[in-house]
Amino acid sequence: MAAGVVSVDVQRPADRTKRRRQSLLVQAGLFVLAALWLIPVVWTLSISLRPENSIQANLSFMLPLPFTLENYEFVFSSSRLLRWFVNSLFVAVARTLLQIALCSLAAYAFARMRFPGRRILFPFVLIGLMVPGQATFIPVYLLFSNLRLLNTFAALILPGIASSFAVFLLVQFFRNIPIELEEAALLDGASRLGVYLRIFLPLSTPVLTTLAIFTFLGTWNEFLWPLVAATDPDIMTITIGLRNLTATVDRIEFGQTMAAAWAAGLPIVFFFLIFQRRIISGIQLSSGIN
Amino acid sequence: MQSALKPGPAQRLANTLAQRKWRDAGIAYLFILPFLLLYLLFTFLPILQGFWISLHKWDIIGSNVRFIGLRNYQLLLQDKLFWSSLEHTVFFALLAGPGLIVVGLALALMLNRPIRGIGIYRTLFYMPNILSVTVVGLVFARVFAPADRGLVNVVLDSAGGQPHSWLLDVALAMPTIAVTKIWWSAGFNMLIFLAGLQDIPQELYEAARVDGANRLVLFRHITLPGLRRPMLFVLVLQVIASVQVFPLIEVLTQGGPAGSTRPLVMYLFERTFEYWQMGYGSALAFILFAFLFVVSIVQIWFFNRREED
Repeated sequence: MAAGVVSVDVQRPADRTKRRRQSLLVQAGLFVLAALWLIPVVWTLSISLRPENSIQANLSFMLPLPFTLENYEFVFSSSRLLRWFVNSLFVAVARTLLQIALCSLAAYAFARMRFPGRRILFPFVLIGLMVPGQATFIPVYLLFSNLRLLNTFAALILPGIASSFAVFLLVQFFRNIPIELEEAALLDGASRLGVYLRIFLPLSTPVLTTLAIFTFLGTWNEFLWPLVAATDPDIMTITIGLRNLTATVDRIEFGQTMAAAWAAGLPIVFFFLIFQRRIISGIQLSSGIN
Repeated sequence: MQSALKPGPAQRLANTLAQRKWRDAGIAYLFILPFLLLYLLFTFLPILQGFWISLHKWDIIGSNVRFIGLRNYQLLLQDKLFWSSLEHTVFFALLAGPGLIVVGLALALMLNRPIRGIGIYRTLFYMPNILSVTVVGLVFARVFAPADRGLVNVVLDSAGGQPHSWLLDVALAMPTIAVTKIWWSAGFNMLIFLAGLQDIPQELYEAARVDGANRLVLFRHITLPGLRRPMLFVLVLQVIASVQVFPLIEVLTQGGPAGSTRPLVMYLFERTFEYWQMGYGSALAFILFAFLFVVSIVQIWFFNRREED
């Protein structure tokens, strides 16, 4: 007993220095890794802000010196970057709003209303959780092609609105909203639509916002479908436009390529920084761990 | 007698409720209809139609269509390019998968302690995730550019090393793609593991430490078992993502050099949108779908079962 107490007393300071050393080691490791993660970004951002002759003279220089905006001026004036940016914004916002509206309406019915066939329809909708995009894009492509709707915003927006995941998520959320609120409103003569609009939507703003952020990001970064659905440069989204712009890499300089990349990338980085709390908690929630 | 002519209040209420019930059902269908229409049109029917198309020789958009049964599937099994693209897909998964898990877990372990600036580190490691594949492709095409045009080679050169043609070298292309993938996506796994680590009760560690367990024992017997669920989640997501790998390879190597990095989905794209063989492409798509469908069912089954425990 006494020996035990003594040994604890002796160990404590040693433990503390050991822990401090480990903590320093971890901090050093983190610093090195952070540098590795940052270097590709810092390097290419600097390149985008340097004149071409200076880039060629000192490729690995990490600071934007001498500083110039001519690469950005060039890509904005000589390509349709701005147009693609607006297209992406329109497609992503339209799809996000439509998805939120349609999926939350359906989710409300599934979560709170009784109707014949509900027990069959809901699992039927959940099948969509297990369908990857590649399984559907050939028939969907043929559909739009037959309707002569390829290279329209409709082609870019419509597929992907009816998300089984969104319905699933919202049904779970709606089920936890207290039934008393709804009953009171219905007895007071409120319509179902009124209950949905004035009780369910306001109470689920957090989950709707998170869903909207992810749908927006997912649509903005979508690659496969817009690659085949919109080949017309006037309709193209920025993710695809950027790829085509730089596929003709012989005609565009290094600094200009990087200016194009970051003109497209930086707005999304800012978007992330604004919403990062929600994005991070949304991801951690999706794993169902917390 | 009287009640048959003039329904009493109880009867009236029952009537309105019954009426309301049927009206309610009608309203429910109206609420679901817009979603269901789009769901049928763009998700459910295309699966069936995709299978139907895969039973045909379906060339150049509908002008040359002939029913051939399972012939496309037979042809696929004999198709060398199908097998090689499957091989490349598996190779990619084996290269990137363990790296993504190890790096993600290492980052989470380092960040799961009170360190100043923890939020900044977390933001920084996750940030590449939100960049589009095109931006990542453009940046890393230059990081790994051949000769003295890429950052890695310039740094190697100044350290006295040999330059490589990373993305143009058959032996190095896929590992280079995997490294890029790790930079791009390890932050996602980090977030999942961080959430998992925060769920492990601290008392477990304290109790074990009192018993004199060292860090390795703590990691092996408390941390790793505690991370079973996030580990499985990450693994399943990675299998699903790896099977579908294509955009990143498309922007980095276009499947080259000499087709050595061409994955399944890229092959599917070539057959469908370059050779316009819709039937053949659909057969390939259906095989992918069947595989991923099974993986998803296993995933859902597993996670539901664990929740009931």
